[in-house]
Amino acid sequence: MPKLDILTFPDSRLRKKALPVDQVDDDIRRLVDDMLETMYDAPGIGLAATQVNVQRRIIVMDLSEHHDSPLCFINPELVWQEGKEQMDEGCLSVPGFFEPVTRAERVRVKALDRNGEPFTLEADGLLAVCIQHEIDHLEGKLFVDHISMLKRQRIRRKLEKEQRQAVTQSAEQRREAI
Amino acid sequence: MVEPREPQAQQASAVGARSRAAAARIVHRVRDRGQSLTRALQDQHDGDSARDPALTQEMSYGVLRMLPRLEALAARLLKHPLKPSDRDLECLILVGLYQLEAMATPPHAAVSATVGAVRLLGKPGKAGLVNALLRRFQRERAELLEAVLEQPEARWLFPSWLIARIREDWPQDWEQVLRVSNEHPPMALRVNRTRDDRSSYARLLADAGITARPIPGLETGLVLDTPRPARTLPGFDDGLASIQDSGAQLASVLLGARTGQRVLDACAAPGGKTAAILEQAQNALDLVAVDKDATRLESVRATLGRLGLDARILQDDASSPQGAWRDPPFDRVLLDVPCSATGVIRRHPDIKWLRRPDDIAALQMTQGQMLDAIWTLLAPGGRLLYATCSLLADENHQQIAAFLSRRADACELPLETDWGRPLPHGRQLLPVSGGHDGFYYALIEKRA
Repeated sequence: MPKLDILTFPDSRLRKKALPVDQVDDDIRRLVDDMLETMYDAPGIGLAATQVNVQRRIIVMDLSEHHDSPLCFINPELVWQEGKEQMDEGCLSVPGFFEPVTRAERVRVKALDRNGEPFTLEADGLLAVCIQHEIDHLEGKLFVDHISMLKRQRIRRKLEKEQRQAVTQSAEQRREAI
Repeated sequence: MVEPREPQAQQASAVGARSRAAAARIVHRVRDRGQSLTRALQDQHDGDSARDPALTQEMSYGVLRMLPRLEALAARLLKHPLKPSDRDLECLILVGLYQLEAMATPPHAAVSATVGAVRLLGKPGKAGLVNALLRRFQRERAELLEAVLEQPEARWLFPSWLIARIREDWPQDWEQVLRVSNEHPPMALRVNRTRDDRSSYARLLADAGITARPIPGLETGLVLDTPRPARTLPGFDDGLASIQDSGAQLASVLLGARTGQRVLDACAAPGGKTAAILEQAQNALDLVAVDKDATRLESVRATLGRLGLDARILQDDASSPQGAWRDPPFDRVLLDVPCSATGVIRRHPDIKWLRRPDDIAALQMTQGQMLDAIWTLLAPGGRLLYATCSLLADENHQQIAAFLSRRADACELPLETDWGRPLPHGRQLLPVSGGHDGFYYALIEKRA
């Protein structure tokens, strides 16, 4: 299974809106597997297709300690939410930064599983936060959109700088290799 | 999304959280899966090092000691009962309540470490619930306690069937028995007289900063002012002393095996009484130590090895012994039968929840079979000491009464001690605060 590349903020492709999956077939299941592998490798606890530059409404998660409880939501939809909870969130597309974000404390989500069967899940705590975080991705939103503009600009500048350095570094390595 | 960062305070108390999660898992295994506390503790020790084992142990014992009270409190604090899959979480709540109710941990630390442990159980979504519940307990402790103490189980910290049985057998003493059974037990030592005497070993202890007092009525008994791990006792690995309750030490005194005699310990594991018998006779006995359980026989071997004592250690079943070791007949037999262990509950609080009412009749039957089978191995004029760590008449003097009525060649001898109280047959030691555990002894001689 190939690992996929994860887009990094402020990549504009993270701002695209994902399209619903009309049929859950083997191609979709293969994508789900690749996304899970990419997520475990990162390591992360949730990943949206948007983050690997696939604009389809698919998210995967695994909150378990031993990485043995993968969850897959296709065409996820929040049908109910209540309460408020704040957590220090981080994102594979915003590496190295954690900021407090306030979200609903409990949610109910409707989605299709990897066999295309519809299911509903009620979640609270970290699972609820993660579901909301990933569904945001499908709308082209990131957790940094929930924090102050000042903080967001600072994160953007730091990540852009890191990316420039990474490009220069890899160019130098290429030169040395030749 | 990546795993959220933990708040600073929670990172600092990571060890605290791990210790609490470990205690919750241990209580869960005992309470919900019927495993013994000793075994569950051992498994946790093997599996996890990044925590404070003494703290985990204290909390596991404590929760099992106070279980019905903590459960009743939790039931009042939970708006809805938890799902069956959340029994481990419930155990963590009990651990949290125990700390607030019975430990000196500062309440804020107890709450934050317990809330931190929720995540370690893989249920981060429940952290809010646990936090709210423990904080509410802090606010409403007095009213909640008053309400739950009306339930006898929550008040006496015993299952109701066992309260009833102890009350029936000890109508004058049952309250005292239950109270003492819920205390922390003292730590008693038996000095290995083949290697050292009590006063010189007491000096070794004093040099190590350990205060101990001699136990009156036992030549080799000492009781420590404060319990401590065995391995930290001077000369423990060299076999200078063993840990043994004073009531258990009495067994070798009452058996009175003399040098050169042929002696049987018919249910020997883990070997504490076996060793005491050998030490008392300067290791000069033809002693056969038998037990049904091969794994537990290994601990007999280890104990005797550490103390430098010799015995033939064999696997066999005292209720129907088969081995060639049975010949020739024995001069002295210790028959320390499997029992309800209701006399040692303060050392094994899990017994209160693992034992079932039906167990007593089954144990009683096994004990009777063992008495009959082992009696045939006794030489004429030989003596059998029957021992239990039970408080129940069915396993004790009534068992002996039944045996004496079916064996014409059996006659009871008086026990050379003033400990405990005489019963129609034998003597009962009830657990004493700061003193011995609960034991029963009867000495029977085979007519020549």
